[in-house]
Amino acid sequence: MTVDVHAGIMDRGLKLFGMIEKLQGVPSDEELEGLLRLLPPDSRENIGALLAPEMREAGLVFLDMIRQWMYAARDARSLSPKKKVILVPFNFPPDLVHLFESAVPLTTEVLTTVAALALPGGAERYWEFMQSLGLPDHICSANSVEVASLLSGKDFLPDAIISAAPGACDANAKVHEFLSHYQGIPQFILEKPVDDTPEGKAFYSRYFRTLIRQLEEFTGESLNEDRLRGVVERGNRCTELYWELFEYRKMRPCPVPNLFTLFLSPVRFCMWGTEPGIRTLEAMVDTVRRLHEAGVYPAAEERCRVLWAYTSFYFNVSELHRWMGKKGWSFLADVLSLYMPQPIDTSTMDTMIDGLVTAAWEYPMNRQMGTSSMSRAWVADMVWAAREMGADCVVHCGHDACKQTWSVVSILGEELMNQAQVPLLVLHGDSWMKTTTPITVIQQEMEEFIGNVVLGKKRTRRKVRRRRPKSTPGPKSTP
Amino acid sequence: MDMDSVHEINRTLQNQHVRDFRSAGGKVVGYTCLFTPVELLEAAGVMPFRIRAMGHPETDLADARLSRFNCRFCRSCLQLALDGTYDFLDGVLESNGCDQLRGMFENWQYARPPAFFHYLKAPHLLGDDALDHFTFELGRLQTALESHFGVTITSQKLTDAMDRQRRIRRKLIALDALREPERPAMTGSEALEVVLAGGGVGAEVYEALLDRLAEVFAHRRIERPGLRLLLGGAASDEPALFAAIESMGGVVVADTFCFGARSYRPLVIDRDPQAQSDPLRTLAETYLGGSRCPRMVDEFDGRLAFVLEAIDGSSAQGVILVNNKFCDLHGFDNALLRIRLEDLGVPVLCLEKEYGSPADHGRLRTRVQAFCERIGERP
Repeated sequence: MTVDVHAGIMDRGLKLFGMIEKLQGVPSDEELEGLLRLLPPDSRENIGALLAPEMREAGLVFLDMIRQWMYAARDARSLSPKKKVILVPFNFPPDLVHLFESAVPLTTEVLTTVAALALPGGAERYWEFMQSLGLPDHICSANSVEVASLLSGKDFLPDAIISAAPGACDANAKVHEFLSHYQGIPQFILEKPVDDTPEGKAFYSRYFRTLIRQLEEFTGESLNEDRLRGVVERGNRCTELYWELFEYRKMRPCPVPNLFTLFLSPVRFCMWGTEPGIRTLEAMVDTVRRLHEAGVYPAAEERCRVLWAYTSFYFNVSELHRWMGKKGWSFLADVLSLYMPQPIDTSTMDTMIDGLVTAAWEYPMNRQMGTSSMSRAWVADMVWAAREMGADCVVHCGHDACKQTWSVVSILGEELMNQAQVPLLVLHGDSWMKTTTPITVIQQEMEEFIGNVVLGKKRTRRKVRRRRPKSTPGPKSTP
Repeated sequence: MDMDSVHEINRTLQNQHVRDFRSAGGKVVGYTCLFTPVELLEAAGVMPFRIRAMGHPETDLADARLSRFNCRFCRSCLQLALDGTYDFLDGVLESNGCDQLRGMFENWQYARPPAFFHYLKAPHLLGDDALDHFTFELGRLQTALESHFGVTITSQKLTDAMDRQRRIRRKLIALDALREPERPAMTGSEALEVVLAGGGVGAEVYEALLDRLAEVFAHRRIERPGLRLLLGGAASDEPALFAAIESMGGVVVADTFCFGARSYRPLVIDRDPQAQSDPLRTLAETYLGGSRCPRMVDEFDGRLAFVLEAIDGSSAQGVILVNNKFCDLHGFDNALLRIRLEDLGVPVLCLEKEYGSPADHGRLRTRVQAFCERIGERP
């Protein structure tokens, strides 16, 4: 017997974002308070956090970007000619779908985040439905929550699925395969070779080009060079803005609001290479510039700079991101916001496709877990980011379904200490579900660690012999 | 009685055959995944040894590196690497069978690096791109073996090794046929032990052993076989699990386990000698194209057909799909297989279990007993 799901994430999310569309300009605190009272308590605090006074303008632009992205999928079939909706995972450039006039992307994990963060009941009701189909309780909520919504028969189904996780994540690859078979939706697969050599990348390029041909056949539309150039040029503008923001993230105190790390991910996973994506990043940069010039920081002083090793927790941003800010703890980045994009050469069709291949190769998770060595690539990125951004500590949230990171996190901890003298806190919880580990427990564990290990160490700092790393790992793709 | 030889081979990992082979100067290389073409190792004069844990229950050393969210089969294998049990291996082949195996190998290499370590990377889909890719990877493996062990893998040696594997697979399939009659020749746990023994000895020794076993089993029949069951799923090498299930009044007449029937079906592709095809391409087509592992993300229909064929061949009355706790690949696949098989009217029981945990057997027995009663009551 399956658990009942009364409505899908898309339908419920669309209603919520419909309210945001009605906002005229930037609301005052009083207006916002009135608006938030219309929302159920689960959503109220998180939406309120996204629209906190110091970042309200950017928050509105961000929410409007999500709204436009969802509306594009909703309206796809009512347009003339109709557009096809293609479900993509977060480790895949949506630009490739934006290249087609007749297709729009929907990103599995971003819809799960919408449910976890903004919908009453969060992600749990979909998770329970998934379990009632007989699926194990150790699969990944990041994708299975949205997939459960699609399996329930109460949500709007995509026309096709792109599965880009084979090679980088078993759970992600299998959940999309399950959906494809259960609902009879065609699936296109992009293999990620676990091979960092030029040969490995050459095979990836072949797989990528085969995928383009499959999409051309599926949509009945050939790739158009001008449209491609437009998308890539807008993507390049997004890249410039990303790195401008990155420079601010290095500053002390960090003028970038903690929640901007959350904003960065959907831009990359849903709207890279689009005008709404550019507008969101511009709004973020403008906000940060203003905060920096005004010397605004959410606490009296910045006490700790925290880097998240992989994912973070996304079900209660009010009690994590905002809470950290009030304590003077800067949330520097997580892997989902540390995607290090590169400008793409727009000279020819081939250079642009090659650029997209490289971009896809470097997407979060592909870049760390989908490589010759999960630990080596992950350590290299974390050591580089910790040094570059001056992190005092790294936190691994310990998303329980993430078998890859769990299997090499011990190596990460040892190497972070050896190479960067930065301690690692390993938590355990589910990034998208509050019932696995309550946010209060996460807060308590972070307080103990940061108070005793990080700040305690700062108070009694001893001279530490800095060991030289065996090699200089540095990420492959920093500008 | 040649099952005694089988038990002896499986009793310890470094069995007498391994010791004799090494004493004579031979080299032994460990591997885990079924897409590893053992023919390449045999042709290099190296003994392929299938890494397993045989239900080893202790994981304290491994738990310090992996986590309790990783499957215990991987943790048990890593434990045996870290405590030195696997020090007899002269080399290890990593493979991307699943994310957790990759983690197991990374920790093995990090904490106790073997003398020879090579990563054999297999694509997760079929098609021309993937077959070209896997053929290329097999070429890399050949080069690595030749370079490290100072040998040359000639076409003739490779063809001979492929012929031998083809014969071995045929002999294993012939043994399966002896499980088809109303009174099968062997239990499921015995059948699994026979297959497991193949991973611990050289191909020549194993082929001779299979010949002797064929003679023994040709005249043997189980007394009261009970319900006929098919076991599917898990990457599990535990004859004790089969025995526990069979103790509830059934007999496992077929399986689709990674350490069972999936390891010898289908046959190594037999090319026309006149065709002058590249043997590495033939191996790629055999091992990738014939894979029934749930890691292959676009081949579910082939896996379903494989199970249905096994049900037909063995006249199984019910299917038990097993997965180790935290195994994503089999967890997803078993759920979908259950849905499809039940749609076809096949009774299915899904069992998630902790690897190598005898404590789990009590719970499993209860569920299997209820399942057997359910099938027994069917009109």
